[in-house]
Amino acid sequence: MLDRVDVPSDLNAALETLAGCRAGAILSGGTLLMPEINTRATGLTTLVSLKKLDLAGISVSGTRVTIGATTTLDAFGRDERLALLKPVVESIASPPVRNMASVAGNLFAAQPYGDLAVALLALDAEVEIAGPKGKRQAPVSEIVKKGVAADEIVTALTFDLPDGGSWFYAKTMRRNTNSAAIVCVAARVQVEGGVVKSASIALGGAGPRPLRVPSVEAALVGKPLDAESVTAAAAKFEADCEPFTDAYASAWYRTRVIPVHIRRALVGA
Amino acid sequence: MASRIVTLLVNGTPQEVIVRPGTTLVSVLRDQLELTGTKRGCADGSCGACSVVVDGKAVRSCLIPAETVDEAEVTTVEGITPVGGLGPLQEALVEGFATQCGFCNSGMLMVATALIAENPDPSDADIMRAISGNVCRCTGYHPIIRAIRDAAAKMRGAQQIAAE
Repeated sequence: MLDRVDVPSDLNAALETLAGCRAGAILSGGTLLMPEINTRATGLTTLVSLKKLDLAGISVSGTRVTIGATTTLDAFGRDERLALLKPVVESIASPPVRNMASVAGNLFAAQPYGDLAVALLALDAEVEIAGPKGKRQAPVSEIVKKGVAADEIVTALTFDLPDGGSWFYAKTMRRNTNSAAIVCVAARVQVEGGVVKSASIALGGAGPRPLRVPSVEAALVGKPLDAESVTAAAAKFEADCEPFTDAYASAWYRTRVIPVHIRRALVGA
Repeated sequence: MASRIVTLLVNGTPQEVIVRPGTTLVSVLRDQLELTGTKRGCADGSCGACSVVVDGKAVRSCLIPAETVDEAEVTTVEGITPVGGLGPLQEALVEGFATQCGFCNSGMLMVATALIAENPDPSDADIMRAISGNVCRCTGYHPIIRAIRDAAAKMRGAQQIAAE
């Protein structure tokens, strides 16, 4: 049972509370944590809200984007400088949930949620983290795999904004809005001289966490970005994926449609 | 740990409540302020029945510990209901047979209130997106979408008359 909910206005105070409590958790938007608290015996005693830490906000310098951890999905989706990524945000949950949910919180959403994490993985985003020993940075790939320590707080995310022609995003759902992914594909594919120069392709709904498909990426490099070569490359997805069964789709179904959705995301048909 | 005093401006009225750690906003509204128009539904954010407007944004009151919204401005369905009558959105719901069991209504009304405040002339697609997180098991949604569209039109008309 909770015996303390702190709303500190100082990052060090937040870190101290987190380090000093018996069973603490960080509360940002609350859309992942509060359902747990409302419906299960979590054993948590302390919540540390990030609300007053001044960690929200978006800055863009050239193509480099820095997003504060507690920036809401709603604020992300409204920022015209990030319009290219608006479809990612709008594919997540519903407006009231996006008004609450934070950008950094999405990194910790269990699959098949966490579509923004999928996009950030394709963008090779860096995560800024504050802890008792100071600040550190880690690639988003590491954070979605290992999380952060219990006494650490994600403070910001940074990534390079792709140009329009190299960015691809498609999320397949059972409904058009407010549904989790059957498969979610986010990719940055750069084409030069008619062939793929580099590809980073991330999937949601394809494993226990958002994951990259290096086998598909490698098979695509040097090939033209057309249906034939994308189909051939996408067929190599199985080496990197662990499709699962949930209420939205079976592992069998996901296995059948993952390469189809990679192809549709990249070449449209 | 001791309970804490939380100050809220609820439907224009300053309120002070004493909350135990982690008391949710929906509990404060219903159990302490007796504003029972806001419904407790799924408790995990997926049904929308507890939606209220906090500082201009529609949110889920079941997912908000009251301590984190100290000094916020909260609007509930009671706040959009004129004394002894119904507001335009509520009237449109009744007239359009968009209320059956009624459980989803207050949540629907609050997301619609936030939508119309931001976009006085929403398209059906805008309305559908706005209510996409609010579950209704009776109406099949279309009467609700029509009612919100009708109410928005009526509210624009009223605003125009007021301006003239």
